[in-house]
Amino acid sequence: MDKKRAAFLSIFLFIAVNVVSLSNAIEGYYGHEDERVYAAVTVALVSTILATAAFFIWKKAEYKK
Amino acid sequence: MTDDKKQTHHEDDKDMIKLIDNLNRKDDVHLNRRAFLKASFGATVAIGLATTPFGIFTFLRDENGEVKRVEITDIDDLAIGESRNFNYPTKNEPAILVRTPEDKFVAYNNKCTHLQCPVFYEHKENVLLCPCHKGYFNVDSGQPMAGPPQRELPKILLEIKDGKVYAVGREVRHG
Repeated sequence: MDKKRAAFLSIFLFIAVNVVSLSNAIEGYYGHEDERVYAAVTVALVSTILATAAFFIWKKAEYKK
Repeated sequence: MTDDKKQTHHEDDKDMIKLIDNLNRKDDVHLNRRAFLKASFGATVAIGLATTPFGIFTFLRDENGEVKRVEITDIDDLAIGESRNFNYPTKNEPAILVRTPEDKFVAYNNKCTHLQCPVFYEHKENVLLCPCHKGYFNVDSGQPMAGPPQRELPKILLEIKDGKVYAVGREVRHG
């Protein structure tokens, strides 16, 4: 699988990770499970950073002349 | 049909095709693979960042929420099979202390996890009962046994010292 395709597909993986993280953060917040909230926020932020990197990799390859 | 007429029809068709092309052009620009990926990326970032307020509010709650140690009662004032209401960790959060038939002290916030009705201790059946919709909770664990509640009652952590029962913390999810 080339880099561009991997970056393209990984964004959908990261969206799934973020949806699960958001769900965990909400459940943890209302259940007063602080550790769970912090873990979910950390995972979501890392996932977002990776998604951003993947997006720029894809963009660079997509608009290359 | 003459050649001139044929030619005119042919040109008309071409114009129609151009018109259809023009109609689709907007969709082509806005609904394509690139736009789809950009929208997906935007959604990823938005959902990812949506978790941060929960982290911030949890942190602020930690800062404010020092663990309180509150005296509930003397051991001698509560007979086996009896219960007593108190408030913990704040005055707005009612709780119930139960001395079970096995001579064990347990305490829970006594707002039913279904619709927040008060929960009572039923000595005969040795259960916690929410009379609003007949929700039953296990007195030893606080877990729902029957009826509409799906979640356990928040557990108050207890400490028994010098003949007195103290509330020293709370676990909302447990077991």
